[in-house]
Amino acid sequence: MFNIVELGKKFGNLEVLKSISMFIEEGEVVCIIGPSGSGKSTFLRCLNLLEIPTSGKIYYDGTIIDADLDTKMLRREIGMVFQKFNLFPMFTVLENLTYAPIHINKMKKEEANCLALDLLEKVGLADKKDVYPSTLSGGQQQRVAIARALAMKPKMLLFDEPTSALDPELVGDVLEVMKQLAAEGMTMVVVTHEMGFAREVADRVIFMDKGYIVEEGKPEKIFNNPENQRTREFLARVL
Amino acid sequence: MILNFSKAATLLIPSLLHGFSVVVQATILGFLLAILLGMLVAIGRLSNIKVITGPLYLFLELIRGTPLLVQLVYIYYVVPLLLNLLASLFGYKTDVQIASLTAGILGLGINYGCYMSEVIRASILSIDRGQTEAALALGFGKYQALFRIVMPQALRSIIPSLGNYLVMMVKDTSLLAYVAVNELLLRTQTFASQTFLTIESYTFLALAYLIISIPLSYLVKRLETKLKN
Repeated sequence: MFNIVELGKKFGNLEVLKSISMFIEEGEVVCIIGPSGSGKSTFLRCLNLLEIPTSGKIYYDGTIIDADLDTKMLRREIGMVFQKFNLFPMFTVLENLTYAPIHINKMKKEEANCLALDLLEKVGLADKKDVYPSTLSGGQQQRVAIARALAMKPKMLLFDEPTSALDPELVGDVLEVMKQLAAEGMTMVVVTHEMGFAREVADRVIFMDKGYIVEEGKPEKIFNNPENQRTREFLARVL
Repeated sequence: MILNFSKAATLLIPSLLHGFSVVVQATILGFLLAILLGMLVAIGRLSNIKVITGPLYLFLELIRGTPLLVQLVYIYYVVPLLLNLLASLFGYKTDVQIASLTAGILGLGINYGCYMSEVIRASILSIDRGQTEAALALGFGKYQALFRIVMPQALRSIIPSLGNYLVMMVKDTSLLAYVAVNELLLRTQTFASQTFLTIESYTFLALAYLIISIPLSYLVKRLETKLKN
């Protein structure tokens, strides 16, 4: 689905990503782990062009993507879930889900409502459809945010540390929804600090540090038998 | 000296009621113009395009550095002369004039628009960047994200301060007397100079403004508390 070739990103003089190359296959769950400041989130945000790469190439389904491309089309196919949820506070939960399908995909209101209710059912929040996001817990908000991304029927989902802003006891529900999506075959790229989730759900784990991919492989290999010294040090600290 | 409030009341109050409709007109149209201009200037200044931000900054300094009264007089008396002069340079003979109420509305709208643009700009900047990113990630364009998602939240947060500007504008319509708009002050001045009921007339004038501005301020406060909950 994605073919990333020598991707680089600089903020001024600060080089955040240095020559990242990788494939992302359809149906794959890729977890990106690494210390803060390693460039994981920036890399993720380059995939839907929320950040514009400064060097390298990204191919999506064979077409090269860059700032000239119709980024709107790309983003409609790739959903994103943020660390801080970013739900729209002036809309109810249901409206959060239906707003983009109605205004972008020109879906009929009844149809969008039906779809939204199904998705809320799926994330276990159908009873919250008429409340405003501010009345929900962080975990509930994040599940609504996942449902909102799904309402655009994306081919792929990007997760940017989806559980980092949550109280520990709320993390489980969100991970449960993500596991379910993975089991249904959704292509997912997940930047996360949840090592348990990465080990259990990922098809491939990528360890990034200082703007490089240091090591990648099956979760068993990365977690049980890491080759690189830096991977070992990082895992020793977080596990 | 004998005060004659009843004479002033019977003659002046009907006239003030007529003037009241002028005040309402000037305020509503001036305020709409101010909001529109304020939004445009705010968005322009946030655009990061130097050919837009530079002139807008100069324009803001120009308006904020001169009194509203001077601006009104300038629009009413000077701008038509300038236009005529400009036309004559191209060999046309024109007699452009600006109706006094139009000049007043333009003046109020431009002046308040500049002040309000700063409030609007700050409120747009205060909205979490994540809101824009969420909209972009869903497939909305840059301007759709701004107008559909960010602006409604920004405007909502500044409704109380916009309300205060509205109350101020109602009172500032009195300056329109100097460009011959027959509003409350001009009517009172005329009446007082004809009848010499100076104390009575201006007391009624002051009361008239209070009768408008006190309930209006109260409504704005009500709205503010309502929005907080």
